[in-house]
Amino acid sequence: MPLEGPARIVSELTSRGYNAEREAVTRIAATENPATTLEAVLEDLPDDALVVRSEHVDSLLERAPVSDGARTTDPIGSPTDDGSDSGESPIDDGSGSSESSAGDGPDPTEPSTRDTSPSTGDERPTSRPTAAGGPVETRGVQEGSGRSADPLERSLEIAGDMTGESTGTGEYGDFVSVFRDRLERLGSKLRGRVNHRPATAIQSMPGGSEAGMVGLVNDVRSTASGHWLIELEDATGTFPWLVMKDREYADLVDELLYDEVVAMEGTLADDSGIAFVDSMYFPDVPRTHEPTTADRHVQAALISDVHVGSQEFMSEAWNRFADWLHTPEAQHVEYLLIAGDMVEGVGVYPNQDEELDVVDIYEQYEAFNERLKQVPGDIEIVMIPGNHDAVRLAEPQPGFDEELRGIMSAHDARIVSNPSTVTLEGVSVLMYHGVSLDEVIAELPEEKASYDDPHRAMYQLLKKRHVAPQFGGHTRLAPEEKDYLIMEEVPDIFHTGHVHKLGFGKYHNVLAINSGCWQSQTDFQKSVNIQPDAGFAPIVDLDTLDVTVQKFS
Amino acid sequence: MREEDERYFRRLEAQLDTAFDVAERAKERGGDPEPEVEIPVAKDMADRVENILGIDDVAERVRELEGEMSREEAALALAEDFAEGRVGDYETRAGKVEGAVRTAVALLTEGVVAAPIEGIDRVELLENDDGTEFVNVYYAGPIRSAGGTAQALSVLVADYTRALVGIEQYNARSEEVERYAEEIGLYDKETGLQYTPKDKETKFIAKHLPIMLDGEATGDEEVSGFRDLERVDTNNARGGMCLVLAEGIALKAPKIQRYTSALDEIDWPWLQDLIDGNYADEAADAPEDEDGEADEASDDGGGGENETEPAEPEGPVRAKSSQKFLRDLIAGRPVFSHPSAAGGFRLRYGRARNHGFATGGVHPATMHLLDDFLATGTQIKTERPGKAHGIVPVDTIDGPTVKLANGDVRRIDDPQEALEIRNGVERILDAGEYLVNYGEFVENNHPLSPASYVFEWWIQDLEAAGADVQALEDDPRIDLENPDADRALEWATSYDAPLHPQYTYLWHDVSVAEFRTLADAVANGRVERADGGDGTLVLAHDETVRGALEAIIVEHRQRPDDGRIEIDDWKPFAHTVGCEPRETVADGAAADPDARDRRPTVELERTWSDDDLSERARTWGHEEEGDNAIEAVNEVAPFTVRERAPTRIGNRMGRPEKSERRDLSPPVHTLFPIGEAGGPQRNVADAAKHAETMSDTPGVVELEIGRQRCENCGTETFKNRCPDCNERTTPDYRCPDCETQIEPDEAGRVECGHCEVEATCVERREVDLNEQYRDALKSVGERENAFEILKGVKGLTSTTKVPEPIEKGVLRAKHDVSSFKDGTVRYDMTDLPVTSVRATELDVDIGQLQALGYETDIHGDPLVHEDQLVELKVQDIVLSDGAAEHMMQTADFIDDLLEQYYGLEPFYELEDRQELVGELVFGMAPHTSAATVGRVVGFTSAAVGYAHPYFHAAKRRNCDGDEDCVMLLMDGLLNFSESFLPNQRGGKMDAPLVMSSRIDPSEIDDEAHNMDIASQYPREFYEATLEQADPGEVDIRIGEDTLGTDLEYTGFEHTHDVTDIAMGPDLSAYKTLGSMMEKMNAQLELSRKLRAVDETDVAERVIEYHFLPDLIGNLRAFSRQETRCLDCGEKFRRMPLTGDCRECGGRVNLTVHQGSVNKYMQTAIQVADEYDCRDYTKQRLEVLEKSLESIFENDKNKQSGIEDFM
Repeated sequence: MPLEGPARIVSELTSRGYNAEREAVTRIAATENPATTLEAVLEDLPDDALVVRSEHVDSLLERAPVSDGARTTDPIGSPTDDGSDSGESPIDDGSGSSESSAGDGPDPTEPSTRDTSPSTGDERPTSRPTAAGGPVETRGVQEGSGRSADPLERSLEIAGDMTGESTGTGEYGDFVSVFRDRLERLGSKLRGRVNHRPATAIQSMPGGSEAGMVGLVNDVRSTASGHWLIELEDATGTFPWLVMKDREYADLVDELLYDEVVAMEGTLADDSGIAFVDSMYFPDVPRTHEPTTADRHVQAALISDVHVGSQEFMSEAWNRFADWLHTPEAQHVEYLLIAGDMVEGVGVYPNQDEELDVVDIYEQYEAFNERLKQVPGDIEIVMIPGNHDAVRLAEPQPGFDEELRGIMSAHDARIVSNPSTVTLEGVSVLMYHGVSLDEVIAELPEEKASYDDPHRAMYQLLKKRHVAPQFGGHTRLAPEEKDYLIMEEVPDIFHTGHVHKLGFGKYHNVLAINSGCWQSQTDFQKSVNIQPDAGFAPIVDLDTLDVTVQKFS
Repeated sequence: MREEDERYFRRLEAQLDTAFDVAERAKERGGDPEPEVEIPVAKDMADRVENILGIDDVAERVRELEGEMSREEAALALAEDFAEGRVGDYETRAGKVEGAVRTAVALLTEGVVAAPIEGIDRVELLENDDGTEFVNVYYAGPIRSAGGTAQALSVLVADYTRALVGIEQYNARSEEVERYAEEIGLYDKETGLQYTPKDKETKFIAKHLPIMLDGEATGDEEVSGFRDLERVDTNNARGGMCLVLAEGIALKAPKIQRYTSALDEIDWPWLQDLIDGNYADEAADAPEDEDGEADEASDDGGGGENETEPAEPEGPVRAKSSQKFLRDLIAGRPVFSHPSAAGGFRLRYGRARNHGFATGGVHPATMHLLDDFLATGTQIKTERPGKAHGIVPVDTIDGPTVKLANGDVRRIDDPQEALEIRNGVERILDAGEYLVNYGEFVENNHPLSPASYVFEWWIQDLEAAGADVQALEDDPRIDLENPDADRALEWATSYDAPLHPQYTYLWHDVSVAEFRTLADAVANGRVERADGGDGTLVLAHDETVRGALEAIIVEHRQRPDDGRIEIDDWKPFAHTVGCEPRETVADGAAADPDARDRRPTVELERTWSDDDLSERARTWGHEEEGDNAIEAVNEVAPFTVRERAPTRIGNRMGRPEKSERRDLSPPVHTLFPIGEAGGPQRNVADAAKHAETMSDTPGVVELEIGRQRCENCGTETFKNRCPDCNERTTPDYRCPDCETQIEPDEAGRVECGHCEVEATCVERREVDLNEQYRDALKSVGERENAFEILKGVKGLTSTTKVPEPIEKGVLRAKHDVSSFKDGTVRYDMTDLPVTSVRATELDVDIGQLQALGYETDIHGDPLVHEDQLVELKVQDIVLSDGAAEHMMQTADFIDDLLEQYYGLEPFYELEDRQELVGELVFGMAPHTSAATVGRVVGFTSAAVGYAHPYFHAAKRRNCDGDEDCVMLLMDGLLNFSESFLPNQRGGKMDAPLVMSSRIDPSEIDDEAHNMDIASQYPREFYEATLEQADPGEVDIRIGEDTLGTDLEYTGFEHTHDVTDIAMGPDLSAYKTLGSMMEKMNAQLELSRKLRAVDETDVAERVIEYHFLPDLIGNLRAFSRQETRCLDCGEKFRRMPLTGDCRECGGRVNLTVHQGSVNKYMQTAIQVADEYDCRDYTKQRLEVLEKSLESIFENDKNKQSGIEDFM
């Protein structure tokens, strides 16, 4: 079945050197025999044309209908009824399978879309129809072009990209600078909240005085009697803070990670060697945080962990996703954010070559580029690398080098470092691949962070205002002149991947999304009993920050 | 036992008694922890069991039971004795079970290994959920040394005793069952198991075991689920438990079943289900994932590689090749042959006199031509029949065949010649033969692989064909092993025996097509005769012909510039390719007076055409049709030609050989604590002058040390003799809470009755090291300049922290010997076996041998020549030169010790090393607790310890690269004390808690019984190998056959003699080459030369298993590293924000630097490039290199090329 979906039509056109309007593609796809139509259209095309437009197809079809013209009844790309006005998420697996295109409304027995609500923390993001108003198929066809043709309405800005800015040379001093920068910048968010003193000053204060301190967590240990001793460090030295086991803050001790910045306040013991904690503060996202939203109805698809080159890469699901992006239903999706792991990579684990579909790393990126080509050309793409990608593993990870950028040339995607913040029509999205989530999940109690609810682990990072606080453990750090891993500004959306689980929710009005993956369960995941959420694309309405999940597997 | 054997043992024991007397007298006088020798003598296994366990009456009972039943049954009978209180003095039921379990393990390990004391921590009673009690056996890591059978039986004995004393069975909770499964998986991942049961198998066992298996945490990794269980104290993997469950119960189920079925009291019906694999029903939900793992498991056994599928198309019989030995290849340790590769080692069956018991024989010329990487004792990892071999030099097998830079292709059978031509070697076409004895196949239960056609086989074929071999042997003009060509041809044709092996080439390594080309080339060749004899066959130079000649390893000369290839001794070769030489005499030549100069020319006529070959011959092949010309050869040759080398054995270097003194790090002269006062060197002299501050008295240091009390005058001291009245002192135990003095009870426990806490004699006290040091020097009459440095220890690790008298250290330092943790001086050597020796190779004379009781040679003739072979007595050992020298130093130390410290006469008084001959030593292997008495018989320049295989087996070693130590007898007797042993797990291992004075062949590791002891393998054996028969089907005498008979100590015959047991290089190149880079370059260089080695694969593996893990590991370590203060050494998890050390304000720096991260980067890239590695490998390196650049280079200030500066 060649050329059965729009995505394939697009790639066929690209391979012959043409760009195509989305509508044109839809029309070709809607014919009885798209392949023949395509050939005919190309033959008919004026010599100077570089873009296949809907007029070209129309004129051809009018003159010599290749099909019977029953394009509205063709299920591909234009489902006859997806129940989009029912308030439920639309059922659309993008495959044109009989279930979703049967034409008799949402199938109650098999809702293929995930329930989007229960995993949320503070607020339940309501799912909403992807296209407001009437039945999609009529709108899609009747309104024609679909995606906003006016590029002036779009805006995309990048902040915090350190690609090409890696100035660290791996010296001791570089490491010290990073941690000092962290204390300085995150500490500034806490200094107003406590009456802080340097560690050395506290050491010389008389017993019984009240003191406050802002510092990095240097050590956490329990005492023989079950209390907690937390050593805070600032630029002058360290001071131990005792959290009594029966105090309200004792629970928070479980959440502490080494090297995060916190503030404590309390009373010095009689011998001044230790202070009893009365209150503890995190940099956190203010409860009053109001996210910025877009001025128009526009959507972004947030995905990650494509893993092209893996034997488990879900080619079919990706095709459906790409096809769906060509449908009217997806007409408002104008941005695609990919949070790392474009390809499966080489040498990520021992004997990986035996499990690779594409063994050559450059060919993996070429294959990924082919996948990008399937995405409609008028969607803006932003990508960051992940731990499977061919860049350094230590964070921050600079964006791909020139050679790889050359390979991933389709779409002129924006390639930035991990992490980076991208602002889409005013909505800031912090993109981070998410390696530290493993550590947060391992260190924190299950009710606070687990693989089943990855967004809850992300809340912890938001609270700490740092994407990977703990040094010396799982996460690797490359020292740079400043700490690029800090969340200096509160993002409107926090987007991660890596753990191959889908989950989202809001924390103090910040939308945290961990996108799933495009790789079915690997042998390793099987051995540790991880069920990946594969083949989903969370779609965010940038005007409301609501999330809809599209399922393609 | 023969009278002469009895004499031998009596003599050893008399010698031992003499030494014992001296040692006892010394001990009475000195200030040792005990006033007597602390190594009890065990005459037999029963004694050893009792001594190791320290339970009275066990030995007697064991002896009673031994004659009546098997050892396993005896263990069960003893369990009854324990249960009923007839043996052992245990009051609690748990104690009875513990005694029975320990005794069982000791009995099954012949009282040699430390497993019964170190491997079982305790047995305790816990409660089931229904309130009944069950038995919990608490295993520890050292249970490993007991082996699977003893481990499994320990559980059975525990259950049996449990039933007898009336304790309920264990009912595992479901989370405990799950925990077992997860834990075994974790342990396998972390440490590795020989056999890993599948999860459902583990759960099945755990659910049904009537005893709870528990144990100490061993690994660092924790389980992720099923944590914090009430009845399991740890979240880490419990290594001992995992071993017992997996390698014991799961693997040895059939063995235990034999005993459970015989016992009424206990019932393990589930064992049958376990054996049958019927545990799936209970865990039906588990997915079927059997195939992969099951294959893995059966491969591990080394067996099962002989898959002869009847449906296979006809072809030559070949052993299945295996890649396993190539795993984890290390840089600097070369591959000598890829699996079953042409040009690799050719399997030859036989046992040389220095061979057997997990060793492989290699020609010394091969050792040199492999660039000296192989030396006597070097370990190799091998494709078959086992996993590893120790290498021994054997010069009665074929050496390697090489092509020299001048085009000569020669077989090198002389080590001297090998050294001379080594620099000219362009390619090693064939590595020569690899001698493996029949017993290896028995031991590994490996089907016999097809034998090479060799002299030992041919001579029997010849005899079977009707030749009078005896007459031929007696004919002085005939060299049966290396006959001339005419005679070989004559035998082949007149007797209808196969062609002699020396003229049998490796036809199976060329294809039928190549064979035809060769025949054509020969037919078109001409014979040049410069003088008498057969002349030289000259062939036109041609690449195919050249390649084929190199493949079948015919000696020849390649002269490409002259367009010719010359073969001497060509007749058998020409006949084999079906070409008949015809002499054409020129007309009237006889009358010609110049006929002497113009000889008749010889023409070669090809007697067959391609059509003559049968279908079978044309398609005969192993990997593909027609790749093996042997059938074609047999159709065209006028005689039978056997396959010369059907089995090639792949192998690579494992560990290098070892012959080194054992020094702790840093070396220790005296087990006297000096804390940090002696600096990092632990220098006692420095400590004696050390003062923390100006106000402190120099040399006074606070130490943790054992407190002793003089019963006579009440003085408190840490010495074993009262400094005031010179009476012996005793440990002074006090309760840490109430300070009451506590006397140890009979069991040695010291518990305060009031406070119910354990009392201790360890205290922190100030010791004047200066005074101690000066006193010690004075007492032995030595001055400080007698030695360079005297090193002590930082602290004592023993329970009572009894220090050793410094005097001993002074004398050790004087003679440059150092002490092991138990007070003894040791020397480590790789173990190798030898069963017959010559005086010449041992650097002794006949007189010395005769003095040791050697009267006749192996044929029973009286000893008159130095090069006569004598059969080695079972406890006699050969020391390496280094060991001899070290023993001399130790003997001098002992003499001084006796004279200057104990005030006795010197014992050894050795002038030169010849006098060491006849002295007794202890042999002692790690993981064991019993020393074996040995006697020095001579010396070798090889860096190994040669001894009788039974001696090694008595120490529980085989010779596949294992190493262990020797100590001088008197050193052990005088200086060993249990009081010095560390009190942590494993502290009692590798310590001579008991000694065996004589070896009983029935009580040694039974692996040695599988060694063959025949002088010839029968013809039927060779024929059986061609069918890959089971080794058990062949009748060759092995050690087991003489067990328990009068001949058990004698008649260790061999099939191959060797000129000297030390040939080839003395040390492996691995040890003589300097840096890792040099080693790796030599390794890759060698891989290029060897025809049997694929150098790209070697390079790939070196990168994959060595460089990449190093690079990746260091890079990971870099980005999460600790930092350390350069001034005070304080470590910080993370860089301090102050930048400086928080402790001392000193400079802090990284622990992992750029240099250590990328040290192999460029080399790895270069190697990948030069050896044409896969793109995958190259790309991994590229990605890593970019990562390194990204981390270590400033994007804005990149290191640029030199042109930027021009």
